[in-house]
Formats: sequence, C-alpha cells, structure tokens
Amino acid sequence: MKTIFNLKTMTSAFLLGIAILSLSACDSFVDVEQPNSQLTSDAIFNDYTTASAAMKDVYTKMRDGGLLTGKPVGLTHLLGLYADELQSYQSSASSAAPFYNNAVIPTHSYAQEIWITTYSQVYACNAVLKGAAASTALTADQKNQLTGEALFARALLHSYLAGVYGACPFITTTDYEQNLNVSRLPKSQIYTLCISDLEQARDLLPATYLSSSRTRPNKFAVSALLARLYLYSGRWAEASNEASAVLNQSAMYVWEPDLNKVFLKACTSTIWQFSAAGATGNTQEGALFIFNAGPPPVVALNSALYTVFEPGDLRKTAWTRTITNGPNTWRHVYKYKQGAGALPTAEQSIVLRLAEQYLIRAEARAQLGELTNAKQDLNFIRTNAGLPNTTAVTQSDVLDAILKERRVELFAEFGHRFFDLQRNAKLDVELSPVKPGWNTTDALWPVPESQLLINPNLLPQNAGY
Amino acid sequence: MNKNSLYKARAPILYALIISLVYCNALFAQNRQPTKITGTVGDANGPLQGVTITVKGTADSTISDNTGKYALSAKEDDVLIFSYIGFKTTEISIAGKTNINLTMADDATTLKEVTINAGYYTVRDKERTGSISKITSKDIEKQPVTNVLAAMQGRMAGVDITQTTGMPGGGYDIRIRGINSLRSAGNAPMFVVDGVPFASDAIGNVQTSTNIPTPTSPLNTLTPNDIESIEILKDADATAIYGSRGANGVVLITTKKGKTGKTQFTAAASTAVGTVTKFASLMNTEQYLAMRDQAFANDGISPIPDDAYDVNGTWDRNRYTDWQKELLGGTAEMHTLQASVSGGTAQTSFLISANSFTQGTVFPGAFKYKKGGAHVSLGHESIDKRFKISFSGTYDVQDNDQPSRDLTYTARSLAPNAPALYDAAGNLNWENATWDNPLATLYAKALAKTNSLLANTSLSYQLPYGFMAKGSFGFTDLKHEESRSNISTVNNPIYGVTSANSSIYFNDTNRKSWIAEPQLQWQKQFGTSKVDVLAGATYQNQVTDRLVQQGSGFASNSLLYNLASASTVRVLNNDEIVYRYQAFFGRVNYTQNDRYILNFTGRRDGSSRFGPGKQFSNFGAVGAAWIFSEEDFVKDKMKFLSFGKLRGSYGVAGNDQIGDYQFLDTYQSSTGVYDGSVGLTPIRLFNPNFSWESNKKLEAAIEAGFLNDRVFITASFYSNRSSNQLVGMPLPSTTGFSTMQTNLDATVENRGTELTMRTVNVKKKDFEWTTNFTISWSKNKLLEFPGLATSSYRNQYVIGQSINIVKLYHFAGVNPQTGVYEFEDVNGDGSITFADDAQTTRDLSPKYFGGLQNYVRYKNFQLDFLFQFVNQLNRNASSQYTAPGDFSNQPTSALGGWQQPGDIANTQIYTSGLNSDALNANDQFVNSDAGISEASYIRLKNIALTYSLPNMLKGLQCKLNVQAQNLFTITPYQDGDPEFRSFNYLPPLRIISFGAEIKF
Repeated sequence: MKTIFNLKTMTSAFLLGIAILSLSACDSFVDVEQPNSQLTSDAIFNDYTTASAAMKDVYTKMRDGGLLTGKPVGLTHLLGLYADELQSYQSSASSAAPFYNNAVIPTHSYAQEIWITTYSQVYACNAVLKGAAASTALTADQKNQLTGEALFARALLHSYLAGVYGACPFITTTDYEQNLNVSRLPKSQIYTLCISDLEQARDLLPATYLSSSRTRPNKFAVSALLARLYLYSGRWAEASNEASAVLNQSAMYVWEPDLNKVFLKACTSTIWQFSAAGATGNTQEGALFIFNAGPPPVVALNSALYTVFEPGDLRKTAWTRTITNGPNTWRHVYKYKQGAGALPTAEQSIVLRLAEQYLIRAEARAQLGELTNAKQDLNFIRTNAGLPNTTAVTQSDVLDAILKERRVELFAEFGHRFFDLQRNAKLDVELSPVKPGWNTTDALWPVPESQLLINPNLLPQNAGY
Repeated sequence: MNKNSLYKARAPILYALIISLVYCNALFAQNRQPTKITGTVGDANGPLQGVTITVKGTADSTISDNTGKYALSAKEDDVLIFSYIGFKTTEISIAGKTNINLTMADDATTLKEVTINAGYYTVRDKERTGSISKITSKDIEKQPVTNVLAAMQGRMAGVDITQTTGMPGGGYDIRIRGINSLRSAGNAPMFVVDGVPFASDAIGNVQTSTNIPTPTSPLNTLTPNDIESIEILKDADATAIYGSRGANGVVLITTKKGKTGKTQFTAAASTAVGTVTKFASLMNTEQYLAMRDQAFANDGISPIPDDAYDVNGTWDRNRYTDWQKELLGGTAEMHTLQASVSGGTAQTSFLISANSFTQGTVFPGAFKYKKGGAHVSLGHESIDKRFKISFSGTYDVQDNDQPSRDLTYTARSLAPNAPALYDAAGNLNWENATWDNPLATLYAKALAKTNSLLANTSLSYQLPYGFMAKGSFGFTDLKHEESRSNISTVNNPIYGVTSANSSIYFNDTNRKSWIAEPQLQWQKQFGTSKVDVLAGATYQNQVTDRLVQQGSGFASNSLLYNLASASTVRVLNNDEIVYRYQAFFGRVNYTQNDRYILNFTGRRDGSSRFGPGKQFSNFGAVGAAWIFSEEDFVKDKMKFLSFGKLRGSYGVAGNDQIGDYQFLDTYQSSTGVYDGSVGLTPIRLFNPNFSWESNKKLEAAIEAGFLNDRVFITASFYSNRSSNQLVGMPLPSTTGFSTMQTNLDATVENRGTELTMRTVNVKKKDFEWTTNFTISWSKNKLLEFPGLATSSYRNQYVIGQSINIVKLYHFAGVNPQTGVYEFEDVNGDGSITFADDAQTTRDLSPKYFGGLQNYVRYKNFQLDFLFQFVNQLNRNASSQYTAPGDFSNQPTSALGGWQQPGDIANTQIYTSGLNSDALNANDQFVNSDAGISEASYIRLKNIALTYSLPNMLKGLQCKLNVQAQNLFTITPYQDGDPEFRSFNYLPPLRIISFGAEIKF
C-alpha cells in the first residue's frame, strides 16, 4: 500500500509539473528580443551617429553597385563600351558584351541590376528623409544635413536613370503601396523634379564639408550637379550662374594644374568623391581599367577615342597608357593610377570635379551667345592640357569645340560622352560609323522586362526592344 | 515430430514424468523450483541469433546467441514465448522439458506487425490510422551513398527526391506530396533525429559554400550506416501532432540501438569509384567553327575581330578537345570504413560505432571530402521494467576541400578548339593571355569543416493505473566553418596580379539547440476496447551564431588562411538568431475489438517567427481505421484475404519556415565601409501582420494482404490544400525591395494517388524473391487566388494550373525569310511581349514517379536492385545557351543554322553577338516551349550483390558485396543527366562500390 501511495504522489507531482510548465511559460517563451545585429528604424533616427550611418550607407551602395560604381556593372564601364570610349576584350558570352555590341535585350542581367539596385538606393534616400523628418531627437541642423544629402543623392540617381532609360518613375516615398503601381515620367519632368530636389538641398546644406576628404556633399556639390542639370535642361543662364557659384569658391576649389594629380584623393579641384572602401585599396575604376600585359583581360581604350586627342595634348600621355606585346599595342585608361590590390589608399572615385564646371559654364555661355567668355573657360581647360587656344569662331563651332573638349577631358567618367551625344542628338552620326551594331533606338536602354511584367504601368517598353 | 522421434523422446519424457511425480509433493509444499532450460533456435537456414525467449507472464527473458543457443530458468509448467521479427511467434509449454529446440517458421504477415515510429508514439503497422512510409537499415546499407535523402530515392511513395549536385557533400531536394507553398524555400519537410528536431535549413553561406547551387546542408552530418530506420509522416493524422511544422511532412530518423545478447563486433570496408553518368551532346571543332564563320559572315564582320581567338587563327583551328571529358571525366574515388561493437545484458544494452569516409571528385585535381564520426547508443531498464532510459549520441566531423567553382558550365561552353591545359613544360598554358585556363580556377578553393553533435536522452517511468511518464531531452551543436578563396594565382601571371589582390571569405556558423518534451501517457483496456492517451509539451530554443568575414590583401598567398595577415578585414555579417518554439500536444487513440480505431491528435503552437499577437495557432487531425479482415464475414467467406484495412484522416498542419525576425522594422549593419565606418542599411519592407499559413490534408487509403500476406497492396488517395499562403510577395523594385513577407489569399491543392505493392514471390530454403513496387501520381493546382490578374504574380501563375508551371512563348519555327526564331503572337498585336504572348504553360513537377525493387537470394548470394522511374519535363540545353554563333560551344541541337532566305532551318541565323533581332529572338526562344523537353527516365538506381561466405570459423560471418548507384539510365533526354534542379551543375554520379563485412 505504501508503495502505491508513493507512486500516486509521483503521478500527481508529474501532472502538476506539466501543468505548471504549461502555464508559466505560456506566452513569454516565444517572445524573442530583437537580434543584436539589428536596430529599429526609430532608434536609428534618434541618434545622429546612426542616422549618419544610414546616409553614408547610401553612398556605400552607390560606390559598390548600380549606376555610379566603378565596377563592371557601372555606367563608366558600360556606357564607355556602349559609346566609343572603350573596347571590350571580354568573351562575347560575357555580360558586358551586349553593351559593347549595342545589342542589349530587356532581360539582360546588367540592365536589370542597374534598375533594381538604383531604386533600392532611392528607397534608402527616402528612408533617411522620412526618418529625419519624424525624428524627435535630432537637432534642426542635423535634420537639415541629412535631408539635404538625401535629396542630393535622390536627384543624382534619378538624373542618371532618366539618362539611360529615358522616362522612368520618380520615387519620393517609402510607402510600397504607392510605389507598387507607379508610372514613368518623361525625362524632362524627371530633370525638373531633380532640380527642385537640388534647389532645396542647396539651401539645407552648409558651405563647408563635413570632412576634409570631401566624401559627403556640401552646398557646392549640390550646385555642381544643379549646374549640370540646368545645362541638360537648356536653362543656360541658371547653368552658367550655378557653375560660377562653384568656380567662385576659389579658396576651397583650388585648380590642380598637374594632370597626374587630378585624380589623387587630396586633389583640391575635387567637388565630391566617394570614400574608399577601407583603410587600404583604391578605386574600382583603376582595378577595372589598368592592365600590365596584353592582350587586355577586360577592356582597353577604344582607338576611336585615342585618335581624337590633338597633338601635344598632355592628357593623352598622362591619362592613357600603352602596353605592347610583340607587334601588338593596346591602351588603357590611366586617370586613376592605382589598380586592384590592398595598397594604401591614394585615390578615391571622383564623381564631381572642377573641370566639368568650366565646361558647363563654357557651353552655357556659348548657348547664351557669350562666346568670348565661353572660349575663355574652354581655353582654361585647353591651356592646362598643353594645347593652344581654340580656333573656333562661330557659336556652333565653339559648341562643337566644347563638345570635343568634353570628350577628351571627361572620358571614362560616368558616361559623359554618351550623354553628351544623346542630348545633342548626335548619337547616330557619331556612333554608326564605328559601332556596327548601332541602331537609332539604342539611344535608350530597355526597361527590364521583369519590371514591366510586375508593374504594367511602366509600359510601353522603350522603342526598339 | 515423426513417430520415430516421438518414440526416441519417450525415454526422457518418461524419466521426466517420474521425476516430476517424485517432486510433486515437494513442489506444492515449497513453491515450484525453477530449472534451467536450454536449447537451440533456428530457421530453415540454420541457427538464428537474437531470438527473444520470454517466460510467459513474467519479465524473464533471454536472447539466443550467434549459434542459436539460449539458456534461461523457468518453472516446469511455464510457457516459453519465442519471438523474432520476420517469424511467427511461437509458444511452447515446458512441460518438464529442460531442452527445447525450435525451428521457427517464417511469417510473411509480420510486416504488418512491424512497429512504426510516429514520433511521439509508436504504433503497430496493422493498427495505424495515418499515412507513414518506412525504410530500414536493410535498404540503406545496400547503397553506397553519403546522404540519408539519397538512400530514400525511389523507395517511398509520395516522396520526390532530386539530387541537386554531384559535388561531394552536395545537397538534395525533397518534396513530400508536392509543393504546398508558393515560397520556394517553404517546402522542406521537418526532420527529427531520435526525437530531436534537426534544422535542415542551410548552414552554408552562398559566398563560401562549396556546393553551389545549394549551400551546405546540415543533413550531411548524418551517416546513413548509423540509421536504423527512416519513417516519413505524410497525412494529417500523422503530421498534425507536429502542428506548425508538419505541413510538408515529417522525416523521422531513428539511429541504431544496441541489442541484448553476446557482444558482437562488426567491421566493414568498401572502395568505390564515381563517374559522371552522361555527358551532353555538344558540337565538335568542325561544327563549331563552321557555325562561328557563318556567324561573322552573317553579321558582315570582316576581317574577323582581334579578340575572336577561336576563329581568327590565334587558336589552332584543327584542335579538338572534348572538354566534358577533360574537365568532368575524372573518377571520384571513395573509401568507407565502419566498425561497431554492440551487446548487452537483459537490463542494459549498448552500441558503439565509428565510421570514416573519403571521396574525391571527377574534376582534375586532388580534392577530397572527408567525413568521420562516432555513434553511441545506451539503453537501460530497471529490473522491474518500470523505469527505462535511453541515450543516443552522434558526433560527426566533416572536412570538405573542393574547388570554389563547379566546372560543368565551363566544360559545356568552352570552345572545342580552345588551347591545351598545359604547356610543354607541364605548366598551366595561358596561350599568350588569350584565355582563362579553367584549371587555374581550381586554385581557388572552398573549404568546409563541420562538427556536429546530436544527443538525446529519453526517460520513461511506468506509473500505476496505466499511466506512463516520459521525458525526452535533446541537444544539438553544429559548428560549421567554411571559406572560399579568391587567390591571385587564378589569374594569368603576366598581368602581375599578386597576393595583394588575393582575398578570402570566411563563414563561421554555430547552431545550438535544446529541446525538452515532457509527456504523460495513459493506456487502459476496457473489455474489448483500448484507450491510449498522450499529452505533452515542447520547449525548443535554437540559437544560430554567424560570422562572415572577408580578408583581402595578403603579403603572401601562403598566409591566405590567416585573417590576421590580411591588410583589410571586413566583417560582412555577424549576428545571433534566436528561434523559440513552444507547443502543447496530445493524442487520444481508441480501439474497439481490435478492428475499429479512432485517432485524434492536436497541437497548440507558438513560434517566435511571428510578430506579437500572431505567435500562436492550433492544429489538429482525426484519423480512423477499420480492419475489416477481422470481421467474421471476411474470415469465413474471403479466406484469400489475409488482411484488409480502410483508413482515412483529415486535419490541419502548418508551416513556419519563413526565417526569423521577419516582422521587425529594422536596419542592420551594411557590409560596406564609408569614411572609415560601417553604414546601416534598411533590411526589408515592414509588415508586422503576417501569420500562419495552414495546410488541410485529407486522405483515404486501403491496405490489403492476400495469400497470407504474400501479396500486400496499399493504395492511398490524398488531397491537401494550403491556404493563407505566406509568401515573399514579388514587388517592382521601385518599392526598394523585390519582395515583402505577407499572407496571400491563395489556395494551392495537391492531389495524388500512391500505390505500393509488396509480393513475396518465392520463399524457399535456398531461394527467396521479393518485390516492392511503388508509384505516385500527383497533381498540383492553384485553386484560387483573388486578384491574381492585378497582382505581381500574374505572369507566374494561372488559376487551375500547377504552381510549378513556367509560362512560355509558343515556338513557331524559324522564319524562312528573316532567319530569326518566331513565336505565336497570341493577342495578335504584332509584337511579342511576355505578358501577352507567353501563354503556353508547362508543368515541371513530375507527373508520376516510383520505384521497382527486387530482392533475390539464392543460397549465399543476395541480389537487390531498384529501378527508379520519373515522368517529367525539364529544361533542355537549348534553353541554357547564348545565341548560337557566339564565342561559346553549343549543343548539337543548334546545328544547321539558317543561311539565306528560303531556308527551312531548325536553328536561327547564327550571330557573333551583333544581330539584336537574333539575340532578342534567342532570348524568347530560351523562354519558349522549345526550351522544355521530355526528361523522363528509368534508372537502375541501385544494385547490390552480396555473397555470404560459408562459415569458416565458428561464429565468424563474412560478406562480400558489389554495389552500384545510377548504373544506367534510359531517357529520351539529350543534354546530359535528366536529374537536376539547375542546369549546368555537376549531375549525380554513377558509383560502383566493392566492399566486405565481417561479424563475430
């Protein structure tokens, strides 16, 4: 009997045990804390350091992927191939080959990747705008800084999207329900919206840089981009004034006459550059372009570009380099002198620099009929390259001379050549003779097919695809 | 016994009678004395080891040794019960004898006496109400495989298993009764090893994994040889007790346990060779160059460009290399060693085993996959048999050294006149920098080391009144370190790329989990009815720590594996993921007259993967069975029917495979550095409101045995519907992301029929032949999807069709005038667009699949072979290549390109890459019905021949075996092996193994 009593007690104890376990651990057991590697959005924007980190990440993403990266997927490479700046040595089965052959199709992986990563960068800008606006802990100055930067980055991204895809959506919110069914806006409207963003950003950002490395945009970086978009929009007077606003900051932007120092990280004619990816390492552009033996592993300078340099142009020797192997000769872009590898950082990818501002002002002044002033700006650049003053006299000659100067000054930098031909309606004239695959409809890239399928409001596809 | 023996036996019987009469008084006076009974048990073939001999009505028992001998004490009027799986249980009254010999009779019916593990409870196969398939070590040990999923291929109805890569340690894709979830990652079953849930989601990181396209699967840590049985739970009755995690089925893996009896030593060794089963049919140099020349002519390109090295004479136009043979044609050697010791007393049993395995690759180079492990199992019960404890532990170490890239794609696309791999001096040939030598990529390695510990203890105590208290406690610890190097030597040395450009990725993942499951069981017999009740709770905690790092810039490549030597180290990911899970579950089983059975199961689940207020949900099922062969009308009138059962079930299970923390609105550290510090990046579009998806399962089945169960047939019909689908809804990237976690109001149905048949064709002393056949048909259907037409899924799914369809253009041939592929313009608008014109659908799920297994024994020879068959469509090679004419080899199906107007051709105009119309048309061709082929196959999946050597020494058993996997395949598929999920990765290998085993 005694044993049975004990067993009975054990049974009851066990049952009780289960019951207690069941009750005590009911809801709380499955509540987990947020992981130590993550922070909530609210927390991010209640601290300036973390909010800044969110903004800096937008630049990181731009440096490492999408339109502005120096990697093979970026415009510097792809538009260089697409126009007449670069020659491909990659297999015709490689992802870059269709760009070189002007045979991009709507399902092409790079065309998709650029669209997708760029809009995710735009989302990150909008998330900063939203977070800064909602923050209760940031000061007004801090909010202005973040808002100004985010507007600047958003405008920059949209302006390039409009350049390659033509009409495209302009995204201003993080709300997915609004962004789900957006339609495309004409390129001119995109530029107008970008200009409006930039005009706001110009008023929000301080004149000084946050750091001496000029890796965060200030008021004048905004002006520099604004000058470009005024120019692209045919608003000549504003373009000229905005460029002047930058060029007049002669204490901050000291012209670097040595062509071999223009692309160094401490160059004083830099307006805005991406930070390096770490304590060591240099630009992606350098890693992509530089080779020490032939044939080139990836790309070489297109001979069409090499022959355009006027005799005596110092840029030809300073910014390109010749590699020979027996009877064969190749050249590569040599603006950035540091290739791949973990060497100390000497160069960073420069997005906005002073020379473009001189050429913007020259072009805007020429369009306004101020030919003397225009030639003065143009000759400033030419003199520095060891060339005599321009011989152009008429307005159209001056404009042509500026366009040519842009080609040799700004080559292999974010597709300037392509955009210059595009906005001057010279793509067919210039590219047909040297690009066997060129068609008129190649002026725009196809919108990724996957995106058209998922959001039919993006239809129609660009002509020719 | 014949008359003679009866006569002979008379003397001892008389003697015994006299003795008993003499002792009669004494017995009655002072309790009967136990005497020692001895004897030998055997079957038609000789002595049987492991037969359990129990004294009826007591707990006293023993087990026969390897010569069939036994001894135990019993009283002279006791009855001995002889039992052994596969034989009829026999009762013999001692009736005063001291020596009892028995030849046991085979019992074809015993398969239904087999006990089936249903997870929290076991059930006799005969009485089960749920749908459960089982394979045992007998099937597993005949296969030279390293992954448990491989051992199940073709052997279980309703279980579709595809090997995703032939790389050693590579992954398998398992689908039990089709695809339930629109999320591709949401279709994995739950794995439970000895009662401990085993997280099967990948531990590898795509950045560092060797087994592209599947990151390393933790299932590799289980050694097939350590497994006693695998049960797969399929219907609601069986899976609902696993609640939220049962929707895709449950795979229960039971490891081997020690057996009471003499200490037994086993050792086995085998050596195997593996080769690629089938190469794709590709162009040779002549065909290839004809295509290339034509392509340049078509594009009007003359002279041939500098970089067209294959055509312009830079490479020898007469050279031919079969790159598939050169790069994938090697032989992967495999060596296996296994040893075990087991034994035990009546109270305690043990098993200790150890194994080691190495495997090479078919790629050139000395790559190795090494695996070793130990398994321990202990069992103990108290003398009164009330208390039982068992422990099982497995420790496994893997070391995988593989090239970082699978060379299959290279082998299938490299120009056939590409240069030699080595120069005259035996160094890698770079042919004046005109190509990337594919062997150089092998310098970049992917290394993985995995240590895994799995331990489980279960306790039970028999309480009075039919109660039993049970507890199960498990612990798993998985440590996985992998790295993938990008070493500078993969580059042509003339470019001067140095170790300063070398980089390496490291991924360290640790996953620890514990589980505690207290349970209480109550069993009671009331006259002819029997009640079995189980109640329990589960608490599970799993923590995954992950650290992904990248180091770049090294002073020397020999320091590559030392992160401290890297000039830049970046931490790409460092997090700790906690998953917590809690549940209460129960089962009530009621049996009336051994023939009417009702089974109720239920579970209330909570998971940390859901946001506040959404964490809990209820699941449950009811199952019923009627064993109609127990009814008198069957027993009397239908004697040919030895067993008959109807069963059915209905219930709801769920699915929480959505990843952790998806409901939080958070930022995390980015991988990039800017201005010297790491940025913060938004992770996802925020949706806190998603909750459980549910899977309703309905099943009806009939099981019937004929001719004393020598023919046994099971047919089951199921219809499963999953709704409230949890998906990462695709979004246009203008939203910033490509998906968002949400519940969709879509319902997916999987309907199917499964048939299994087992026949014992011949069962004689020297000759035995049994056949197992399984076949499964399944049909997947998207039943409803409100708003599909306006949702982002509209170009992916069609209501009424499978969710595994692909939408395709309809190929209309090559236009004889333009030479470009044409497609049906469905809406007749004059342009071909995917949304409007890709209206042809093809279902890539198998229509039916199954296996035919035969087991034949003649004297000492055993032959076991399994044919696996699958009826399916799959992508063909033409859907995987760039436009024909490119600098890339092509399948022979691309021969005969269009040349001039009027040509009727199968392949469009060749282009070197300049003809945009042709490129665009090829892109549509890839997504057309021409890119899908019949990929059905019948494959001799496994064949094993075993020869048992006649006993040379007493007690020594020796077996020799030859085993083969994927020996041959019959298929209309032209482009390599038809078994793959992603094209251009190494397919399954053909493996032939020779082995020996000794036991004493």
